[in-house]
Amino acid sequence: MSDLAAVQHEIGALSEFRVLVVDDDQDMANFLAHMLRKEGMEADVAAEGGAARERVMASPPDLVMLDVQMPGLSGFEVCRRLKADPSTALIPVVLITALDDSESRVRGIEAGADDFLSKPVSREELLARVKTLRRLHETRRELEQRRLATEIERKETIHKAFSRYISPGLAERIIHDLGAEDGPFQANAQRIEVVALFTDLRGFTRITERSEVGNVVEMLNEYFAFLTEATYQRHGTIFNMAGDSLLIGFNVPLPQKDAPARALQCAQEMVLRFAPIGRQWERRFGVATGVGIGICMGEAIIGNIGSPHYMSYTIIGNPVNTAARLMQLAAANEVLVCGEFFQAIRDLVPEQDVRARGDVALRGRSEPTPVFCVAGPGSEV
Amino acid sequence: MTDSAYTVVVAKDLADLVPTFMNNRKKELETLRTALAALDFEQLRQLGHRMKGVGNSYGFSRVSDLGKSIEDGAHSGDRAVLDAAIVDYAEYLARVNVVYE
Repeated sequence: MSDLAAVQHEIGALSEFRVLVVDDDQDMANFLAHMLRKEGMEADVAAEGGAARERVMASPPDLVMLDVQMPGLSGFEVCRRLKADPSTALIPVVLITALDDSESRVRGIEAGADDFLSKPVSREELLARVKTLRRLHETRRELEQRRLATEIERKETIHKAFSRYISPGLAERIIHDLGAEDGPFQANAQRIEVVALFTDLRGFTRITERSEVGNVVEMLNEYFAFLTEATYQRHGTIFNMAGDSLLIGFNVPLPQKDAPARALQCAQEMVLRFAPIGRQWERRFGVATGVGIGICMGEAIIGNIGSPHYMSYTIIGNPVNTAARLMQLAAANEVLVCGEFFQAIRDLVPEQDVRARGDVALRGRSEPTPVFCVAGPGSEV
Repeated sequence: MTDSAYTVVVAKDLADLVPTFMNNRKKELETLRTALAALDFEQLRQLGHRMKGVGNSYGFSRVSDLGKSIEDGAHSGDRAVLDAAIVDYAEYLARVNVVYE
């Protein structure tokens, strides 16, 4: 049963109404319980305050009727404790007092009682008071359930919409943090260690020149389908999709201790899975294609960047720029990584699959960057 | 008191509860006697208070009236009033006749 269906089911079950009668006088407790049951309500009986509190905590009733004079915890004290506890504060409490006992009524009001019933108890008065409180309670509960149902519906709609653009896990997290002041999407931009992975398609420009528009869109969708699948399998976050390139982040927005390993596996999966598609496209269009991937890690800035009219949740900084440059440098089906990332994953890649490219001067970088190829033509990925 | 004063009309739907109610009144009478012998006015006050509340709820107005006398007598420490009320209570319980309608 979905969350929404569960709430709707609960709304439908409003007719059940449970009353806990608390009185050390067995005859009075039996009388009250009998009257309530006759009206179709459920009635439980407790003989003293301590037992009543335990009963309420174990299975909260819809209404508590409390005699004020009981040995042990008095009705006032039980009422005061129930009203002080947020989990029971909304349960209506009726105090049963003597008819001429105005002092008890004042004490009852101070303890938070919702209503009073006088002894001797008139059955007409008892039922009138309980019915009024029941209506009030059910209205309040129905309003609360409807508010919850609306909220769940809203979150389900957001989830459906978001899940087309970001990983399901990230969508879940965004929805969970909606309204939270300290959620990762509410905070100001922050610096964190990230692994940035850039990928694009080699030879795609030539394919677009030789293909119908409809074919291009179909091919791009096919290409992005397996790329996003590989990303989500490793719980990566897609930050940007432009043309035929994709920017993916790991260790962001949620920490991933094994972020470098995830990024490597993601890249290897992309190369491996694109190979048969590339061969198929080559036969159809006569153009050699393949994914080119660049990966780098380091400190980056993450946050909501943009204007009040258009915001983008993204990462910026050196690892992102370097990953982009490495991607541009990568040949078809090649994965190029920066030195820092290579150190983090070197134990995961067989030595024969690694080729050091030396220190490469990348555009925009003041110093040469050590570059390694961890998967490429001829590599066993 | 006339015989009719000992007849109590109780709602039919309370019939299942009345035997227990009557048994508890008889036990209560013994407790009252013991408390009076011990001059335990606080217990007498509590028992009177309870009788006052429960009697009328079931339709036994005489139980409530006697309960009020016992509560007041205990409050003022008036042993004669208490003694008389408990004797009346014993007679009432011995003669009461319940009619269900």
